[in-house]
Amino acid sequence: MQEFLIRSLDASTIFTIAALGELIGQRSGILNVGVEGVMLFGATLGFITATTTGSYMLGFLLAIAIGGLLGLLHGFFSITLGGDQVVSGMGIWILGFGLTTYIGSPFAGPLGLPRIPSVFGLSPFFFLGIALTAIVWFVLSRTNLGLRIRSVGENPVVAEVSGISVTKTRYLCVVTAGMFMGLAGAIFSLDYNPVWAYNFVMGWGFIALALVFFSMWNPIILIGGSLLFGSLWQVSLNPQLLLPDLMSRYIWRTVPFTITLVMLLLMSTRWFRTKWGATKPEALGQAYVKEG
Amino acid sequence: MRIGRPTLKLQKRVYLSGWRAASISILAILVALLLFSLIFLLAGINPLTAYEEIFSYAFDNPFGLPITLNRFVFLLLCTCAFILPYKAGLWNIGMTGQFYIGSLAVYGVLLGLGFRGSEPVNIAPGFVILLMVAASMVSGALYGAIAGFFKGKLNTNEIVVTMMLNFIAFWLVSYMIKEGGPFMNPGGRGESFEMAASLRPPTFFNVPFTIFLALGFAFLLYFLLKRTKLGYQIRAFGLNPTAAEYAGVNHVSIPVLVFLLGGALAGLAGYHYFAAVPGVFKIARNYAFFGDLAFYGIICGLISQGNPLASIPVAFLFGGMSVGGRYVQGKLGMSFGVDFALMGVLMITLVAFQFFYRYRVVFSNPQKENPDARILD
Amino acid sequence: MQQEQTNNGGRSRANQTRKGMLTNLQRGETLLEARGITKRFPGVTANDAIDFSIRAGEIHAVLGENGAGKTTLMKILFGQYQPDEGQIFIAGQPVDFKSPLDAIELGIGMVHQHRKLIPAHTVIENIILGHPNAGAVLNLSRAEDEVNRLCEKYDFSLDLRAKVWQLSEGEKQLVEILKALYRGAEILIMDEPSSALTPVETEKLLDSIQAMAESDLAIVPFITHKLPIVLRISDRVTVLRRGKVVSCIDTRDATEKSLAKEMVGREVLFRVERTKIERGAPILEVENLSVRSDKGFIAVDQLSFSIHEGEILGVAGISGNGQRELVEALAGLRKIEGGKITLEGQDITYANALHRWQAGVGYIPADRIAMGSIGDFNLVENTAMNYYFDEAFSKRGILDFKQIRELTTELVEEYDVATPGVDVKARTLSGGNLQKLILARVLSRKPRLVIVDLPTQGLDVGATEFVRNKLVEAKQGRASVLLISEDLDEIMSLSDWVAPIYEGRFMGKLPADSTPREVVGAMMAGIELDKQGAAT
Repeated sequence: MQEFLIRSLDASTIFTIAALGELIGQRSGILNVGVEGVMLFGATLGFITATTTGSYMLGFLLAIAIGGLLGLLHGFFSITLGGDQVVSGMGIWILGFGLTTYIGSPFAGPLGLPRIPSVFGLSPFFFLGIALTAIVWFVLSRTNLGLRIRSVGENPVVAEVSGISVTKTRYLCVVTAGMFMGLAGAIFSLDYNPVWAYNFVMGWGFIALALVFFSMWNPIILIGGSLLFGSLWQVSLNPQLLLPDLMSRYIWRTVPFTITLVMLLLMSTRWFRTKWGATKPEALGQAYVKEG
Repeated sequence: MRIGRPTLKLQKRVYLSGWRAASISILAILVALLLFSLIFLLAGINPLTAYEEIFSYAFDNPFGLPITLNRFVFLLLCTCAFILPYKAGLWNIGMTGQFYIGSLAVYGVLLGLGFRGSEPVNIAPGFVILLMVAASMVSGALYGAIAGFFKGKLNTNEIVVTMMLNFIAFWLVSYMIKEGGPFMNPGGRGESFEMAASLRPPTFFNVPFTIFLALGFAFLLYFLLKRTKLGYQIRAFGLNPTAAEYAGVNHVSIPVLVFLLGGALAGLAGYHYFAAVPGVFKIARNYAFFGDLAFYGIICGLISQGNPLASIPVAFLFGGMSVGGRYVQGKLGMSFGVDFALMGVLMITLVAFQFFYRYRVVFSNPQKENPDARILD
Repeated sequence: MQQEQTNNGGRSRANQTRKGMLTNLQRGETLLEARGITKRFPGVTANDAIDFSIRAGEIHAVLGENGAGKTTLMKILFGQYQPDEGQIFIAGQPVDFKSPLDAIELGIGMVHQHRKLIPAHTVIENIILGHPNAGAVLNLSRAEDEVNRLCEKYDFSLDLRAKVWQLSEGEKQLVEILKALYRGAEILIMDEPSSALTPVETEKLLDSIQAMAESDLAIVPFITHKLPIVLRISDRVTVLRRGKVVSCIDTRDATEKSLAKEMVGREVLFRVERTKIERGAPILEVENLSVRSDKGFIAVDQLSFSIHEGEILGVAGISGNGQRELVEALAGLRKIEGGKITLEGQDITYANALHRWQAGVGYIPADRIAMGSIGDFNLVENTAMNYYFDEAFSKRGILDFKQIRELTTELVEEYDVATPGVDVKARTLSGGNLQKLILARVLSRKPRLVIVDLPTQGLDVGATEFVRNKLVEAKQGRASVLLISEDLDEIMSLSDWVAPIYEGRFMGKLPADSTPREVVGAMMAGIELDKQGAAT
């Protein structure tokens, strides 16, 4: 049972960090549906680097760097070229899925490094996740930068006339977002489950995307959602812990996805939206073209 | 006074002709192939040799061509499944799930009729085939319609919904064919029971009749979008939902309908691959591989700019390239996933090229007024 | 290159000067001067050698019709456009604004007609947004203290912690004023300051403007129609016509008549001939209609009215009093909370939008781009928006595009839509031509009920006249027309009946030809008819 809790928290950490990244981007008005792709890149390149150099540090750094780079690419398509953000996000996901399958398959199998030591029995990344959540919350709600980010996501025209560079702010956010997602991918492949396999992120990126919608763009609610999904995932992997022999283990595997679906539907109902006043960033997904 | 100097300027396109769109698409494919040469170079392979191998195996080889054609049928169905919602402004990335559900329905029919691997009795094989085709389409349609219904009713993000449905369907297939699941092959490990030989559909040069269905649906879809009242409503809804609603287009029934029809086509792809293509006739262990290939449909749909007729040659080309990619992977000793890598590179190049569908690059001299500029203001 | 350097030099000098200005600002000193400002756009010279100046403590109104070049001049003064010729001087020093930021830095503030605020943020967040001294970590209470001091100085009252979307239009304007003042504005440009305000709010605003001018701020209101306001508050007035300054005089030497003449260039304002036709049977009957807004509030409150054949009912009101919800409910685009809608005796309360089109409702929406047309469709496909469901234009589900094309060609000709052809996309049409196309499409259906929302908003004089005449034609064709407008002139000249709307209720239904404008104006502000008599 203790093992189960630890694994749940570890899984939550990955959801949290990936979704925090997406949340930062969305708060600035940039939707990136390619979280899964960025995570796959971070996970695969981090894994390859660590396994070939033997250095965890290099693995994580490379994962963060590639995440930032993909964020930059998404920014280029959606900010500079003003393209459809969904198309660009899809592109990043399919690129990530396709390319990492090819790049990673020679390295299929376990990492072959000693496990990252735990802190108080938990993965050190759990504490990192908490810290990042607190930082993101503080920056978004209490600082000038956060006010700028939120303003750019709500109404870029107003932000621009108030003297804020929409382009710079959005680039800052998408690159940071990409770094978070890349890091989350690397935590998956280097710490949570250090084995490379075909398409092994298994939809976590998409669940992280859904988590941002649940969180109503609030980092604190986000961490709650992550905990729920981290535990759900563990239950779906080890159903015997809770309800032995109730369903086939394969049916259990559908549970996190089904719950995501149900939560998403619940969130979308009129009842929920009026009750909680959930409002997305007004300019989310819209390209901003400077006037004149 | 400002002194004018000719500069490169971007101009929003007012009108994009079909030929211009086609040439941009072809250019995008060529650039992607150029980029992909890097992958071959990194693997120490001459890209020209590699491409020659890919194309000659895929399009000019008695073994390769039928595989290409079968892949083409699959891709064309998936592309059409993507295009229809895309025209209504919606993203169906659930072809994978609809494909899985379609194949489950096919084997469900067999199981239901009691032909678990045995020959049918008291019933014409042709009728059973008809039933299987119908079941794959109906089930795919219903599965697809879930996303459309919630999009229409609650405005739920259809990308996340279809993706969740993909994973749910994926694990359902696992459940059905593995570890004592209802469709499990008693002898095999992790695959479904085999379909009876008499239920194998007729083939032409090793390609089943589904090729005619796929082509027919592409033409029908083209006609539907271009000429019919329903197609008009779909396009209007896709370009401006508010204006479409103003004009009396129903914002619930259109999403449901496009996902219903799209899902039916992706479901049919399930029948095609697991009950019609020679040599398979069961839900294979590596069904995920086929499922993930369905994402090629997104690329075909985008590159053909949502035109079902244009998607026919595109699906044929990409079908061939994915088959050829898999072939050179083995022949030239590359690692697994060349076809997926190609998919990724094609996709991202295409995303970059989306820009050129919207803008054109012009040389302009600020001193001279551009006659188009006015109309744009 | 060389010029640029000079400008930069000028700018930094101006900056120093300005700091000096802050300490010994003198009433009557010229703060800003623009000399020979010319701005050309393809095919039109929007500003032609304009001279303009503003002194500390002065209210200097700029008056002009739509298209007179007001907006261009305003954008040049605020740094959004750069002039092709001419120079701006601040405290005698030449300056060159590259962006609004440069203008803000030199003490120019802008109060936009279409508020540049973020509704989801609080008042104080909106005020400090982009302020150079906001600090890395926000110190909201310090900022609040500072803003409160400004409020005290000018006698404003505002809840700084409220979200902007909760505020009234007048309060939002106050937020914009405070934002500009907090940034140190000494010159306040105000675009159509009284638009969308109720009369009570307008009064408050005028008091505030005068209070600010008392404190030696310079105020530049840009105004299109409201001459009484110009006469009441301004010290000087500059009139623009076709991009040129036609006069710049002290306001005390001007009268409403003289200003109107200078503005328009001729003696009279046009009027559409009101034709009365014999009153027919009721077409639209509405009983106790209630509708909610997007935010869930009751926006239309138990409304009952009817429109007869050959009648125009003009609904006059400040936007946001339920007009949008009313027309959307009538068009079948918004859920109805309660009540009954009957069209020619047929109950259409629960009919969807399509059924209503088929039953004879024709709706011309206010937003021509977002709702009235599909920009990426060509004109034929846009015409099809109101014809695709028509039996005559389709056979067994297949549209007869040939026939629709013929119809489009006819309509384009009849309604004088300026376009190179019917195959161009609708997004290439100008606002007036797009409105003509929409009008043509809807009115050619010969609807029994025409619902028309802000039909002439943003149109030039020619197109406005055309649209109004077409509406009168529809009425003569025995249709009934529901006209929504903020423009009282439009309402009074077109309608047979006027219904002032306030907070989702009609304040009355009055015959247009025998009701004084002032009465309607007061009722738009929620003042009831019997109380008006008592007040005057």
